Parts: sequence; structure tokens; C-alpha cells
Amino acid sequence: MTSQQYLSALSENASRLGMRLQESISEHTRDLNIARGSGAAYLDTSDEKTKNIKKQLESSSEREKLDAMKRLVALISKGRNATEYFASVVKNVASPNLEIRKLVYIYLLKYAEHEPDLALLSINTFQKDLGDSSPLIRGMALRVLSGIRVGMVGSLVVLAIKKCAKDTSPYVRKGAALAVPKCYDLDNTHLPALIEIITTLLQDRSPLSLGAVTVAFEAVCPTRLDLIHQHFRRFCKLLVEVDEWGQVEVMNLLLRYARTMLVRPVWKDGVGGGVDEDEHELDKDLKLLLDSVKPIFQSRNPAVILAATRVLFYGAPPSYWSLFVNPLLRLLATSREVERVVLADLLIMTRTEPHLFSSHYTRFLVRSDDFTQVKKDKIRLLLNVLNIDNYAAIMREFIDYAEDINDTVVTEAIMALGQCATRIPECMPQCLTALITMIKSRYDIVVSSAVMVLKRLVQLQLSTQVTVAYASTSQSPLSIISHLARRIDDIKHAQARACVVWLVGQYGASEEKGLGPEGLADWAPDVLRKLAKSFAGEASLVKLQVITLASKLFVLSPNDKTLGLLAKYVFSQARYDVNYDVRDRARMLSSLLVGVGLEANGVDREERAGVVLRREQVRLVLFEGKAVAGEEHSVGDHKALVGSLSRVTGKSMQGDEILPDWLERGVESSLRDSEYDAPPPPPVATALSSSKARAIGPSVSSPIVLTPTGGTSPIPGSRGKGPWTDLDSFYADEEEEDEESDEEEEDGESDGEARTEEDESEGEISGQSDSEKGSKHDA
Amino acid sequence: MGIDGIILMDNNGRPIIQSGFRSTSPAYPLVHVDAVNDALSKALRPQDVDPVIHVPSLNIGDAPSACCHLQSSDVRVLCSISGNVDPLFGFAFIQTFLDILQEYFGTVSAATLRENFDTVYQLLEETLDSGGHPLTTSPNALRDIVLPPSLLNKLLSVAGANINTTINSGSGLGGAGGPFSSPIPWRKAGLRYTANEIYFDIVENLVAIINRNSVTLSSNVFGKIEANAKLSGTPDCILSFTNPNVLVDCVFHPCVRLQRWSQHKSLSFIPPDGKFILSEYRYAPNASRASSTVTPASSSREGVTLPFALKPEIDLQDYSASFNIIFTSRLTAKSIENVLIEMNLGEGASGIKCVASRGTASWAFDSQKRVLKWEISNVPPSSSWNLRGSFSTPTIAPRPSRALQVHFDIPTHTFSSLKVDQLKVSGESYKLYKGFRGRSTGNVEWRW
Repeated sequence: MTSQQYLSALSENASRLGMRLQESISEHTRDLNIARGSGAAYLDTSDEKTKNIKKQLESSSEREKLDAMKRLVALISKGRNATEYFASVVKNVASPNLEIRKLVYIYLLKYAEHEPDLALLSINTFQKDLGDSSPLIRGMALRVLSGIRVGMVGSLVVLAIKKCAKDTSPYVRKGAALAVPKCYDLDNTHLPALIEIITTLLQDRSPLSLGAVTVAFEAVCPTRLDLIHQHFRRFCKLLVEVDEWGQVEVMNLLLRYARTMLVRPVWKDGVGGGVDEDEHELDKDLKLLLDSVKPIFQSRNPAVILAATRVLFYGAPPSYWSLFVNPLLRLLATSREVERVVLADLLIMTRTEPHLFSSHYTRFLVRSDDFTQVKKDKIRLLLNVLNIDNYAAIMREFIDYAEDINDTVVTEAIMALGQCATRIPECMPQCLTALITMIKSRYDIVVSSAVMVLKRLVQLQLSTQVTVAYASTSQSPLSIISHLARRIDDIKHAQARACVVWLVGQYGASEEKGLGPEGLADWAPDVLRKLAKSFAGEASLVKLQVITLASKLFVLSPNDKTLGLLAKYVFSQARYDVNYDVRDRARMLSSLLVGVGLEANGVDREERAGVVLRREQVRLVLFEGKAVAGEEHSVGDHKALVGSLSRVTGKSMQGDEILPDWLERGVESSLRDSEYDAPPPPPVATALSSSKARAIGPSVSSPIVLTPTGGTSPIPGSRGKGPWTDLDSFYADEEEEDEESDEEEEDGESDGEARTEEDESEGEISGQSDSEKGSKHDA
Repeated sequence: MGIDGIILMDNNGRPIIQSGFRSTSPAYPLVHVDAVNDALSKALRPQDVDPVIHVPSLNIGDAPSACCHLQSSDVRVLCSISGNVDPLFGFAFIQTFLDILQEYFGTVSAATLRENFDTVYQLLEETLDSGGHPLTTSPNALRDIVLPPSLLNKLLSVAGANINTTINSGSGLGGAGGPFSSPIPWRKAGLRYTANEIYFDIVENLVAIINRNSVTLSSNVFGKIEANAKLSGTPDCILSFTNPNVLVDCVFHPCVRLQRWSQHKSLSFIPPDGKFILSEYRYAPNASRASSTVTPASSSREGVTLPFALKPEIDLQDYSASFNIIFTSRLTAKSIENVLIEMNLGEGASGIKCVASRGTASWAFDSQKRVLKWEISNVPPSSSWNLRGSFSTPTIAPRPSRALQVHFDIPTHTFSSLKVDQLKVSGESYKLYKGFRGRSTGNVEWRW
């Protein structure tokens, strides 16, 4: 439009505007009050306010109608049922006032399902609007038409979508694409027609609608990746110009396509090779995809960054992986919520590839105002990236985190500290010093966590017999146990207390001649003495261990009289305990000890039947086979993929995506040749946009109407060329009635079969398989 | 990848506005609202609430779902997702939608949402397809479809003489100013201003952690270039910097030509109309050290000098604790503003007694979050401030957080000393007014 036309249009409007303003000057003064008055007044939905709605809707004044519609929308937002006004509302569907109309649309979309007959009254208006000159009106009409979920208009909607799919405005074409899944949901018998529409839309040259087309494709025929062959290269090139939300969709599709259709990229195991070295080995289509994803990392949208990361992580050789490290780290600083989600991804990646992030560990340090979940994730992450260069700093962090105000974080941090020591033996001394200091802490949770970790470490060392150089004798396992034993009074937490008691029993043996009973370390009997005294007040967890301790000490030193009495005292207390586990354990152990000489609970030796074990045998039973428990793993997220929902919730979510594995040989690359590659993309959008397409220079603007056979002709052509890598499998496939099961891996082949059928049935076959496989849509 | 719906909720946990949720059962949004309210009420501390809440399925056979939520002033925005949708997608959409609301109403609060609920509904309708796919999220394009609630617009729409009517009749502005007529998706077509002006605000945020020995453990400066363009026609701008090498990890508004940046390190773009964020970056001091004369402070490993020093002395006794915190500005020329120092005093802290030195400093205790706040509105260069006091706890061992959070602003200062070289505008012949401004904020965790 020339500037003159524009000016005249403007002046025409200005005058019209002036006229209307003059005409309704009296109304203005009234409306000023409304404009100033709170819109929240509409939310006052008392009965006297709502009873006028019907009258207002029928009135001739637009102001009244608008007022009524606002009240209705207010009712909807309050969750009240507003179906009774349906008939009156439908009359306003053709209102010349756009604002009224939009509110009517909101109402219709909400209630059309409940009043299908009345909703039909509005269909005509929408059909008329589809021919409107404004793309906004056309788009809106289609959106409402496809959204009103009335079954009988299904075929009308298909026609409307078909018409809009060829619209000149990309906005309308985008709307058409988004309407496809809705139509499919409503009535899946339209599948063949819908696939045809998608095929048309896939050829769209404007990047604006590409995202929406991808949405439609994924919703309606996700297995028909053969439709993408022709467009793969074009999609890659257009990717940077697609809107941010569309980029996410398109990248996910392209990754899936690559993993399904392209040959597995080979790379040398040594990660050292730079990008240049790998280049000649990569499939050229895969390389195109990876290169077009690179600029995407400069998007501001976190979802886009993550989708791009997925493409590289699951689709590129490791030499490309460094590209996403900094963008992901940047996301950590964008917002607390984004940080929470991205950390889940980093956890997955660092599990297998810690080297990518280990030098950036300072970006993962916990802040005291982080979300609790974030703190935990960061601790795990730090543990994942722990290596010989950064262990000292990370360990100091863990020690700091042990002072957090949140108990679960404290536990995690101290556990992590223990893991440090097991993974990097060099930090064992420092770690033990820290843990021993923590036992003196004033906070229960610190003490008990430290005790648990110490127990694990001590047990690990004693069981593996690895001689580690200790900084001082105070860090040898046995002296730690003696230290713990002496502090038993300060250790309050039941589980920690039970741990110490167990340690004392297990490692209380000593060859040296001490002050105490023969065969025992001098600190061990005192623990039993204290606990025998406080037995009644202990938690049952501790009681169980006290019984075990008594038995163990007795077996080690059966000749000591005091010890025998102590053991006897413990057993008689346990016999009358309220907890049956404690009673059972006492009974079991006391009969085990009969052979050693314990005459607990007054049972006569002669009355006892069965086998009586000798002291050596009892010792074996009590002391051997105490393997160290393996490392605890965080559950659930091992199989989760980067960018999936389940990696964040930690639970399996239905509809979790399974990433297809690469093909060993890949489909013929000539399948992806198409006439679309030749001319440059359309000039209008690109000339002003940010893309590199600008560099191509003055483009030949190819006509919008593509070659009439555009949708279908390449397909028979490609069949002629023999795209199937294996003729046998092609025929085998054709004979097979039931193709669903192997469609996933042999997409190319099975689709080939479909192609041999008539156009109609082609759609139906894959349609069936879609609906059977795609629990996604049904769910 | 689409979200199930979005819910805007007030502080009492009652939904104000929610999107259609057309593909789900009517109970679905309610379950999500309940799940979030439940999690919020159960949590001891606000940080304990996971921003992504797992919502078990309502019926056997339904897929479980998740609810992403975030708080913005007194509004909590919920976004329900299910299947295999990336929660980041949800958060990205929430943020975009909040930005749009901000643009439309100035502030986002429960009151403004109620006030303009019809506009919010229309915005939801345009930004979110009923299948949960974002539609039009560019504020420029949206302004054409959904009119911002100004007095004039209300007048016009009531008078029935608004632009929309004209569009509908198929004549008039349809070609030049109608919706979706612009060849550039992010810019309105046919804009006219009497005074053409463009402003750039460079806002940098220092995020650092200092350990108890006053050693910087990590410090990063994240910058943003906020722009406000009021330019007629289709101006093509090129913004160049004297020291672009200090910028790393850059991300850009879609309008920026990426090629140009990678080759010439200058920003070439056709700006959207109004406010937008042109670019975000991270400051890499190491790159700048070679080119500029900034001497890094000895205490800072990565070269960003902290503008202040903090000396917390906290003494934990039985059933009580006392503290004396000294805040000293290290700046010699500029003053630090809006300093806010926060300390979590732990469960059950009470009986807080504090003395803040000098008149312009004040303290307050948020008894719900158990956070002690010390505010100093203006810290002149090289001045020193202190806060001494004590509190008591019901447990024998007080357990305050071992870190202080320090927030501050420094107007007209940037950590990166990023300098704009020039702004060239081609494509339009008018003279325009250009403005540049720097501003810094900080968020430092100081452990003790």
C-alpha cells in the first residue's frame, strides 16, 4: 500500500471517528464514570447484578452488551455456571464490536459443548468470517470454529482448515495448523484429510507457521516421519527464524527425525578431537542440523536453550557438547524457578559427563536463600563434578552446608562429605577431622548425620583393609570408634546411637591387654554398662543393638563375671519389653549364647532341645558377613532424559518420551533432496529479520503457488529411486499384515508399504497405527 | 509440547483468572490449585516449596501431572503440565505472560488483575491456544489485537468507533495498520512519533558468595541491556561498543542479527516499539583486564571488586545470641543505595532487640519468615554503618542461617564499564534523541 492510500485511509478514519465521538457525546460522560470505576465491580456477582444480564444482552446498546458480556466472563472466572444465557449470547456472535465479539468467543468456547444445537446457530457467522479481509478475523473465526467441540461440524471444520491452510497470511495458516489437532481429537475419522492438510502446511515457506505445523504433526501423525524427508534441510535452515515457541517444537522434531533416519555418528573415543576433526566423519545432514542449532543458543528463552541442548546432547558427537555448557550455566542465574529445573538436567548430564562442568563448580555453590530442592540438587551436582582438582574446595563447601538451617540439607551435605572421602581417598583425613568435629555440634541433626557417615567410613575401611595414611592416630578407624563410644551420652538421635552401639560391639575386640576384661578394648564394656542402665528409656532401635552388643561382648570375653551379669541384666530387661522385635531378638540371641555359658532368664540347660553352638561358632554367627551397604542412589532419575518432565518430578510421568536409537546405516540421503532447497527462502520476512539469509542477497521471489504436484510428486519419484536400503525387508514388510510393532524402527520401510496403497487407504493404515500406538492422544 | 493451562491466584490461594483447560476434566485445575495450596501451607519455610509440584492423577488411568508455580508480587501464577512437557516451557511461558501483563497494566497485582479481568481473558485467549500452545506473545503484535485498557480506549470502544470496527468492515486501516500486517513480526507497522527517541539502560547484577574469611568463592556479573524505543517507521539501528570483548554468553532479542554480532561484535537490529530487552550478557573481567586499566582487587579472585565490606560478629549463647554487624562502603566516589541486609534467625527466634547506627538506617523483623532486615537507604562513599542487637530462642542452641544476604543498588555505575561507541540509524531520515544509562544491583551472600 502506498503512503497516499495510507494517508487517505487514516484521514477517512479520523473523520469517522470524530463523527462517532460527536454523536455519542452524551454517552461519554456516563462512560467516564464506568472507565474510572473499578472493573473489579464486575466480579461482584450477586443476584441482583446478574439478573439484568439477559436484558442487557438483548438491548440495542453496545455498551449494555459489553457490560453484560463482562459480567458473564466474570461469572465464568468465578466458576459459576452461565449456560442459561447461551441463547442470548449466540445472537451477539456477529457483533460489529470486536471486544464484544471476543468475549462472546470466550463464552462460546467454554459452553458450546453443553449446548451443541444452539452453538450450531453461530456456525454460519464463522463461515462468513473465514472470508473476511482481515487475517485477524479469519484466524479468530477458525480458532473458535475448531474449538467449539461439537461433533457434527467436524467435516465443516476440516473444510475450513483446508481453506485456511492455503491462506495468504501466515497468521491464519498458523491457526489452521493448530486447529488440526483439535479436529483430530474431536473425530479421528478425518485423519486422511488432516494428514493431507499437514502435508500442504509442511510446504509452507514462512517460518511463522512452522512451529504450529510441527505441533499438528506431532499430535496427529507423529510416526509419519517420511513426510519430513523433503523438508528436513529447509527446516534446519529456517530454524533460526522461527518464533521461540516454535523453535522448541521444531528442534524436538528434528532431533527425533535425526535419531530415526540418520546414520549413527561415529566419533573417536578420545574427547580431545576438536570440531574440525570430526567434521568429515559426520553425515552432512546431521551436520546441517547441528550447525543450524548453534545460533539458537543466543535465544533469551530458557525453553529454547534447553531444547537446543537436547539436540546437541543426544544428537551430536562430544566435541559439540562444549557449546551448551555456558548457555546452561547462564540459565542458572535467570530465575530461581528456571535454576531449579535446569539443575535437574545438569544432574543427568554430569552423571555421565562430569568433565563438561567440573571446572565450573563455583557456579553451583549453594546459597542460603536457595530453594530446598535446589540446595539438594546442587549438593548432588557438586558431588558429580567432584574431581582431584576441585575436591578441596567442594569439601569445604559441604562442611559449610552442614550448618544450614534445614535439616534435610544438613543430612545431604554430611552424606556428601562422606562420599567425597570414599571417592577421593586423598581427602579422607580432612573429612574425618570435619566429621569428628561435627560430633561435638550442638545440633542433633548434625551429630546424628555425622555419626552415620562415620560409621560407614569406618566400616568401609575396616572391611577393605586398605591402609590409608592417617594424619594422626586419632583418625585410625578404631580410635574413631573409641571416640564415638566415649561420647555415647551426647549422641541423642536414635539411629545414630544405634549405629555407635553396633560399631562398639562389632569392633570392640582387642588383642591388647587393657584395664578391662580380657579380649576387649577398654572402652567397650563401659558403653554396655551405661546402656544397660538406661535400657528402659531407649528407643527400640537402640534396644535391639544393645542386645546385640551384650551378646557380642559376652562371646568375646565369656569369663568375665561382671560382663556376664551385665549381659544377663540386659536380656532379662529385653524379655519383658513391650516391643516384640526386642523380645524376639533377645530370645534368639540368648539361646544362641547357651553354648557359651550364658544362663539367662533361668532356662535350664537340659530342657533346651536342638543344637547348641560352640563359642567359635557363635562368634562366627555374630560377627561375620557384615558387608558394607552400597552407596545410596537417588531413585528414579536414572532413565530420565534431559528436558523431560520426569527428571524434575523424580517420578515416572505417563507419556515419557523414549529417544529412538540411531540407525546403523541410515536412510538414503537422496530422500531429503527436494526442489525446495534450490531457491532461497521468501524475501519479505527474511530481508528484515535477523537471519543469515540476508547474506544471500536479492532473492528470486518464487511464486507462492508451488508446483501443483508439490505434495505428491516427489513421493512416487523417490520410490522409483529405490530409497529402501534393503529390498527384502521392503517385501517382507509388505506381506506382513501387522506392521505396527516394527514401525518405530523401520519407519521408512513400513511407510513405503503404505505408499503403495491408494491415497485414501494410505492415510487409514497409518491412522490405525497412530491411534493404536498413540496413547498420547487418547490419554 | 503444550501446557495444559494457566491459573492466576491471589495471596489467599483463590484463583482469580484461569485459562480454558479445555482438553482436561473440570476438576483438573482445581486439583492443581489444591496441590499448590497444600504444599504452601505444609512448608515450614517458603523455600521448602518445590517450584514444580508433582500432582498425582485424579482417576486411575489418568496421567499424573505437574504444576509449575511462581510468585510475582501478590499473585501466584500456576502452570499445569502433563505428559512429557518440559517444565522450563511452562516457566518460560509464565514469564512471558507476566511480562505482557506488566506491559499492559504497569504493575501485576491481584487488584489490577481483578480490575482488568476482561483484558486478561482476552490476552490469555490470544497468547495461549486452547491446545496449550503459545500463539502471539510479541507485545507489539498483541497491542494490535487486544487494546490496552486506557481511558481513551474505553471511551472509543463504548462509542463503537474503535479501529476494530473499521477493520471488521473491511476498509480503512486494514492494510497499513491492521493486525498481522507488519512484515516484521516483532514490530508494529506504520508507527509515527513526533519526537523520535530511543533509550538504553545497561543494568548489571552482581551475584557473589563470600566465605567467612572474606574470600570471594564465586562472583558473576550478569548484565541486561533494556531498551525503550519510540521511533517512527522502520529504523535500522546499529549499536556498537568500545569494549565488546567483556561480554560473554550473550543472548539477544529475536530482532538482533546474530551474524552481525559474531562478525563485528555490534548489535544490528530493527527495534520493536516500546520497551524490550535487547540483550543479556555475562561480564567476563578476564577479557577486559588486557584491554582496560581496571585493577582487580586482591580480595576478589575473578576481578569484580565488591563495593562494600561486611564484618559480622555473631555470638551464639544458650537460648540467645547477640550480633554486631558492620557494613563499610569501599566506593570512594559513588554512594551505594537501598542496601538491604537480611539474616534468617532460625526457628522460634523472638525478643529481637536492635540498635541501628545513624538515622537513615532502619531494621525490621519479619516474624513469619524469621528474617531480620536491616535497611540503609543511602551509604555515602567510604562510610561505615553498624547494627548491634540480640535475640532469644526457645531451644538451647540458636540456629540462625550462617549467611547474610546483601542486596544493594549503585546508580550510574556498571561493573563492566561497558561503553557505547555509537548508535547509527539507517532507513529513516529523522533526527532522533538517544540516551544511555548504567545501573548496578547486587545480591551477595556473606557467610560467617
